[in-house]
Amino acid sequence: MNLSVLIQSLRCSLLRIESRLLQASGLETNLAPALAVDGPSLPPQLHPENQLEEQQENQEQPSGLLDSILWMAAPKKRRTIEINRTRRRSESKLIKVKNNIEPCLECGHLKQKHTLCGFCYAKVSRETALIRQQINAMEGGPLRAPAVETVVLYEGETPSNQDKDKRIVERPRKRPAWFSY
Amino acid sequence: MRLTLQTLISHGRVARRMGLGPESRINMLRNILTGLVRHERIETTLARADEVRFYAEKLIDYAKKGDTDEKAMKMASFWLTEKDLVPKLFKVLAPRFEKHSQGFTRMARLPNRENLDRAKMAVLEYKGNPFPPLYPVKKENELTLINQLLKGYREEKTQELYMKCTENVTVNN
Repeated sequence: MNLSVLIQSLRCSLLRIESRLLQASGLETNLAPALAVDGPSLPPQLHPENQLEEQQENQEQPSGLLDSILWMAAPKKRRTIEINRTRRRSESKLIKVKNNIEPCLECGHLKQKHTLCGFCYAKVSRETALIRQQINAMEGGPLRAPAVETVVLYEGETPSNQDKDKRIVERPRKRPAWFSY
Repeated sequence: MRLTLQTLISHGRVARRMGLGPESRINMLRNILTGLVRHERIETTLARADEVRFYAEKLIDYAKKGDTDEKAMKMASFWLTEKDLVPKLFKVLAPRFEKHSQGFTRMARLPNRENLDRAKMAVLEYKGNPFPPLYPVKKENELTLINQLLKGYREEKTQELYMKCTENVTVNN
């Protein structure tokens, strides 16, 4: 019982110190006009008066600097549709026009200047996937990469002088026009 | 007096941060490099391909020292997590790039990934790989009209020159 009273009194004294500091720093919100007579214009806020009520109303009235619920920013007027339109359609919010699109010389699909053509790369990537499937079938399992070069030969092609020491990967189709030897 | 804030502003910092930290970044690049050495052509995000490119070229430089070199073998066994690629590196990739001093890899940008993230993609390959080329070689078509006409013109000119030479020879004789 004594301990709780002690804690309460400590709390009250701390709150009083805080209010005094606030008064001194000038950040208090409950200002009133100065008087000709020397003295406080407002009656000093006595916290012991509200001691019993404070515990109940703690949540609704945060004391000290957090007195901001009544002080939040809110729009004063409804923004008109014209103002809304100018904001929504300002240049920074519109999609930028690209001027680096050109047709691919091989297939005619559109591509970006600094990029490979998507269609041509898809063609090449499909063929490499099939070549890799053939390689996997030849190796027969994981982690069996041979220490020799590889060469891809299509139907009707015989290994030349350069392909003597290389592993030959056969693809059962005609050589595509874009894959020159 | 210090004129710049050291924290919170990264002006001029060129090192990329990838993964969960420097160690994670090295592990990630190691995996990508192993894949590159195995498949000789991979497609990843642009940032990763750009980072791996440096390490790929340095790995070839180490491989060129030969597999008897202690440091080279240590580097190769650290960077290649699949150990069947170490003989491939020393016996296939190093002799392939003997004549070249730099520029063993080629990186090309691809259209952005189809996923929601639309990430920038790139394809990274070692030069001299057995796959079809990324940039198709342009071959002049002999059978176009203009090329046929030019061919005929060239032949006519050589004929005339030949006639003139033989005439001069007969006249001199």
